[in-house]
Amino acid sequence: MKTQKTIPTTKVERSAKFVKTGIQIGGNYIKHYSKKLFNPNLDREQLNEDNATDIYQSLSELKGSALKIAQMLSMDKNILPKSYVDKFSQSQYNAPPLSGPLIVRTFTKNFGKTPENIFDSFSLNSSNAASIGQVHQATLNGKKLAIKIQYPGVGDSISSDLKLVKPFAFRLLGMSERELNIYIKEVEERLLEETDYELEVRRSIQFSNACKNLDHVVFPRYYPELSGKRIITMDWIDGLHLKEFLQTNPSTELRNKIGQALWDFYNFQQHELRAVHADPHPGNFMITPDENLGVIDFGCIKEMPDDFYSPFFSLISTDVINDKNKTVEAFRKLDMIHEDDSAEQVEFYYKSYREMISLFAKPYTSKSFDFSKPDFFEQLYTYGEKISRMPEFKQARGVKHFIYVNRTNFGLYQILHELKATVKTDTFKPHV
Amino acid sequence: MATAQQIRKGYLDYVLTNNEKPKSVYVFAKKLKITEADFYQFFSSFESIEKTIWFELTFETINKIKAQEIWLQYTAREKMLSFFYSYLENLKNERSFVIYSLKHHRGKFSTPEVLAGVKPIFENFAQEIIEEGLESGELAERRFLSKRYKDALWIQFAFILNFWIDDDSEGFEKSDEAIEKGINVTFDLFQHSPIDNLLEYGKFLSRNGKFAEKMRF
Repeated sequence: MKTQKTIPTTKVERSAKFVKTGIQIGGNYIKHYSKKLFNPNLDREQLNEDNATDIYQSLSELKGSALKIAQMLSMDKNILPKSYVDKFSQSQYNAPPLSGPLIVRTFTKNFGKTPENIFDSFSLNSSNAASIGQVHQATLNGKKLAIKIQYPGVGDSISSDLKLVKPFAFRLLGMSERELNIYIKEVEERLLEETDYELEVRRSIQFSNACKNLDHVVFPRYYPELSGKRIITMDWIDGLHLKEFLQTNPSTELRNKIGQALWDFYNFQQHELRAVHADPHPGNFMITPDENLGVIDFGCIKEMPDDFYSPFFSLISTDVINDKNKTVEAFRKLDMIHEDDSAEQVEFYYKSYREMISLFAKPYTSKSFDFSKPDFFEQLYTYGEKISRMPEFKQARGVKHFIYVNRTNFGLYQILHELKATVKTDTFKPHV
Repeated sequence: MATAQQIRKGYLDYVLTNNEKPKSVYVFAKKLKITEADFYQFFSSFESIEKTIWFELTFETINKIKAQEIWLQYTAREKMLSFFYSYLENLKNERSFVIYSLKHHRGKFSTPEVLAGVKPIFENFAQEIIEEGLESGELAERRFLSKRYKDALWIQFAFILNFWIDDDSEGFEKSDEAIEKGINVTFDLFQHSPIDNLLEYGKFLSRNGKFAEKMRF
C-alpha cells in the first residue's frame, strides 16, 4: 500500500537493518516448515534459535552512535537491553501503515464517531511514523492538530518478542538468566508503558506544565477529550527535525541556543522533577520557525528514586569522587561493587567505575562545555572498547536504573555533539 | 396477534437463556402464548429465524458502509477492510447470539446452514468490489482465477468470524489485526505480482522451446 510517501531518510537507513532481519526470520520460518513437511516431529526449538541469533546479530551490528556510547557505559550486560530498546523503537518503522478503514474503526471504537465527524478535516494518509504508531494531520476550529494512532497489538508483540529472544540472549551473552532478568524487566516495563497512550497523555500534560517556564522550549497542547487508548490528539508543531535543521547551516548562536534549551530541558527534569523524558531520540524534537525547541513525545519516562539519585549524582557534582572511601561506599549503594567482592575486586571495580564516572561528569565540572570537540567522545569510545573486552564486566553490576539514565544522558550528549553546541552546564544543578 | 419481531425476540431470549433451541415449535409457541399458526406465518423453522437474523446483520452492514461519505474514495481493498471492521462492530451487539448460532451449527467443511442466506449477499458484494478493482487495474485479471477471487474472500469471511468468536483480547483488538493482515494478504495475492511475470516467462519459454534445446551448455 502506498500511503506513506515521505519517510525521513535516516529512518529508512536505520530500519533497513531490521528489514533484513525480518527477511531472515521469514526465511527461518520457511526453512522450519519445509523441514517439518518431511519430519513432523521437528519442534520449534531450532526455529526459535535461528530467529534469536538473527535478531541478535542484527542488533549488535547496529552501530548507531548513540547506541554505541550507551553500550559502552552500560557495559556488556546492558548491550542487550539497550539493543532491545533500540530495536523496538526503530523496528516499528517497518510496520505497514494502517489502512484507512482501520483508522476509522479505531476512532469509532474510541469515540463512537468517525474522524470526519470529529474534526473539520482529517487526512487519512499518515504524515509520519511515530515509534509505535503513525501520525495524521487534522484541523479543528482553524487549528492544525497532530493525531497519533497506535498500531493494534503492539503491546502484545513486544511481550512475545521479548519472550522469544530472552533465553537465547542469555546464552549468547554468556550470562545467567537470574542476573540479567532485572534489566530485562526494567526494559519491558518501559516499553509496555510506551504503549499506554492514556498514560502518555497524562504525563505529557504534567511534564509540559512543569517545564513551561524553561526558555526556548515549547510543547504542543494535548487534548485528553480527543485522546484515548490508541489515539492521542495534540497541536501540530511546525518545524524541522534535527537532521533537516542541521542541513540549513544554522549559525553557531542558534545551535547554542537550541543546545542550551535541550540541556535545560533534561537537567531541569532530572534534578527538579526526578523523572525524565528518557528517549532523547532526534525524532522526538522539532526546531520551530521561531527558533524554539519543540518536544513532541513523552512516551518514555524514567523516574529516579532517591536511593539511586543521591549516590549517583553525589559522585558527579560533589567532591565525593576525590575521596576513595566515600566513592566506594557510593558504588556499593549503586550495586557496582558487591558485598562479597574480594579486596582486589573492590580495587579493580573502583578504578574502572571511577574512570567511567569522571567521563560522565566531565560536562558538569566546568561552567560551560563545548560538545563539538571530538576528543571527549573519542575518550568515551576508547573507554567503551576497553571495557567491552574485559571479562570482569561479563557479570551483572549496577542497579537497573542505569539503563535508562545512561541512555538519556549519553543520548543527550550525542545530540549536543551533533548540534556542535556549547552549553552552560550549571543552569540546573543536581541537589545532593 | 404476534409479530415477527416478537417471535424473534422470544426465540433469542430462549436460546441465550437455555443455550439450546426449544424442543419443538409447539413448546415454544405455548411459552410465548401464541399459536403455532402465528409462528408459521412468519417462519418455517427455528433455523429460519437464525438465518433471518444473520441476513439482516449482514445486509445492514453493507448498506451502512456504502452510505459512508468516504466510500467512493476507497480502493477495493479498503472497501473490503471497511466491510469487515463494520461487520464485527455490528455483530458485537448480538455477540451472544453469534456465538450461540455458530457454535451450534458449526459445519465440518461446508458453510453452516444458518449462513446460507449470508453467503449469496456477501458474494454479490465481494464480486461487485472485485469487478471495480479489476476495472481500475488495482487487481490482476487472471484467466479462470479471477472468477475465484470471491471464494478466497468467503474463506476469509469464515476465518474472521471464527477468529472473532474465540477472541478474548481487549476490544477484540486481535480480530482487528486478523482483518488487517488477512485482507491485506489476500488482496496482495489478487494484485499483479512476480508470479504473473513468472508465468508469462514460462509460457514464453514453452512456446519457444526450440531455442532452449539448442543451447547446450
